[in-house]
Amino acid sequence: MSRPDFGQVLSFRQLVITLTLGWLTLMVIAPHALVIMTSFMTPDTEHLAVWPLSLESYSKVLQPIYFDVFFHSLWLSAVATLVCLLIGYPFAYILAKQPPWLRAVLLVLMMVPFWTNSLIRTYAIKLILGKKGLINSLLVSTGIIEQPITMLYTEFAVIVGLVYVLLPFMVLPLIASFEKLSADLSEASKDLGANAAQRFIHIVLPLTAPGIIAGCLIVFLPAMGMFYVADLLGGAKNLLLGNVIKNQFLVVRDWPFGSAFSITLIVMMAAMLWLYVLANRFVQRRGGLDDENL
Amino acid sequence: MKNWIRLLATTVIMAPLAAMAGGKVVVYNWSEYIPEDTIERFTAETGIEVVYATYESNETMYSKLQLQKNAGYDVVVPSTYYVAKMAKEKMIQPLQKELLPNLKHLDSALLNKEYDPQNNYSIPYFWGSTGLGVNTSEMDISTIHSWKQLWEPQYKGQLLLMDDVREVFHVALVLNGHSPNTTNPDEIKQAYELLKKLMPNVLLFNSDAPREPYMAGDVNFGMIWNGEVMMAQEEDDAIQYVYPDEGAVFWVDSFAIPAGASNVKEAHAFINFMMQPEIAKSCVEYVGYATPNKTAIAMLDKELRDNPVIFPPQSVIEKGEFQSDVGEAIEIYNNYWQQLKVGQ
Repeated sequence: MSRPDFGQVLSFRQLVITLTLGWLTLMVIAPHALVIMTSFMTPDTEHLAVWPLSLESYSKVLQPIYFDVFFHSLWLSAVATLVCLLIGYPFAYILAKQPPWLRAVLLVLMMVPFWTNSLIRTYAIKLILGKKGLINSLLVSTGIIEQPITMLYTEFAVIVGLVYVLLPFMVLPLIASFEKLSADLSEASKDLGANAAQRFIHIVLPLTAPGIIAGCLIVFLPAMGMFYVADLLGGAKNLLLGNVIKNQFLVVRDWPFGSAFSITLIVMMAAMLWLYVLANRFVQRRGGLDDENL
Repeated sequence: MKNWIRLLATTVIMAPLAAMAGGKVVVYNWSEYIPEDTIERFTAETGIEVVYATYESNETMYSKLQLQKNAGYDVVVPSTYYVAKMAKEKMIQPLQKELLPNLKHLDSALLNKEYDPQNNYSIPYFWGSTGLGVNTSEMDISTIHSWKQLWEPQYKGQLLLMDDVREVFHVALVLNGHSPNTTNPDEIKQAYELLKKLMPNVLLFNSDAPREPYMAGDVNFGMIWNGEVMMAQEEDDAIQYVYPDEGAVFWVDSFAIPAGASNVKEAHAFINFMMQPEIAKSCVEYVGYATPNKTAIAMLDKELRDNPVIFPPQSVIEKGEFQSDVGEAIEIYNNYWQQLKVGQ
């Protein structure tokens, strides 16, 4: 047995670290630095962004019309997140209770549609929601409604699209939470006389809270940026923040403003992640061994 | 017969040249704006490989070119007013007319226009119009005659508008009695006020394939391009086109070569190829817009040649107005446009 070459191991480690850092610098830090810089520059239609530095773009973000888009976008994303949670939570609960082999099969079945490009799947939703689409023709032919309902190109359609595209991101962290949930806890509380509702509220819900929060965050934040869903299903009206940002870059060519808007979105995202960390700490402390009140 | 000999002669002379030529050309065109086999025919004839990309608005194409310092694409197809703008900003380069012998097939009525005197920078590919689209299986077309009807409350949440700032403002400006190419901020503001009242009626904006919502039955009334109606009619006759009383929006889309193009010779070869009467004819038949190629028009079926949807009568053309560059005022338009689209 030869001793492992220490120098080689070290250089391998250095290589990995360098690669990771290099990747992060090139793909994360540099682009964001550029966006941050652009957001402080002055708009110019011919050269996209020029000196001098100014805060003008950020003051534009605070204009009342963008406030409305902002809140509207928050509202649409919040509804989509809630629907994802309502579907995803029971789904993850049931899935986590299955024997491992069945769980694997069900998970794969859930993921299979997501191997298809999400743009194509969004187009497919158009065929389902249209006036002569699957749902309307079914409802009309069975006589439930007389006139087809307008579903496509409405906010409803956008929410359906968002839920469809983002559901797995809700389910996966929830499954992880449910898998960690020991059945013993439930049984113990049952023995101590807790009914089903009490068990859910006092045991299941708090222990899966990290999963709920993680799932909500990774659904909620991307939802605000999914401009193609709003373009295709919402009729290209500026419903989401992502649409406003896209149009600032491609149509209006006010890059500083588009950048300022993106940065605002990122700051919000960071704030929410911070809230998540706080919530997580709070949840884990309650009743945990490190709880000072114990 | 003479033509036939010439064709044969060119083929014999050109074929070896073509085989040697190789090379490639990167074409950036509007979506669904060329027959599917045209590119293959071009490659077969010249040996030049085509890389083909599409866009759905002048703004997207313009932004991409600016971002790439006018390089990366060899042929682009800006609309009238963008030709003027891009030539002024030196984003497109002067054409070498000696490489475009097929220019002789084009109708002089569509050359040497204000937006590009002497056609130094651009060669018209198609011209067309934006008017009213009607699905006659759901609506009575005989009552439709005016842009004004889009504002009627009965169409609440039902209309399609183009996803194009200039075309939508054109309608409102004309209704207010102003020039659709105005640069006067007050007139643009008035148009915005009028369009604001139209927004509750709008179901969607689409400049990608506006015929599709009509064909899918999601929309029965709104704006549409004449060529899109021609394409739709191949599957559904009920979709019809109306030239509004106030005049339709007319535009020309032209080939141009970006200033930073790396395959300039191949780009000229492509543009020249597209002006071959046989090719121009197949383009009209497929895309359904009017070609400026008068040799090709003579070769078209009478039915197509006399179709007023493609080739409107002179009186209709005179009533409408061609788009031209509005210069810096486009920023005013764009700001109002964004406000309209967020529902303000």
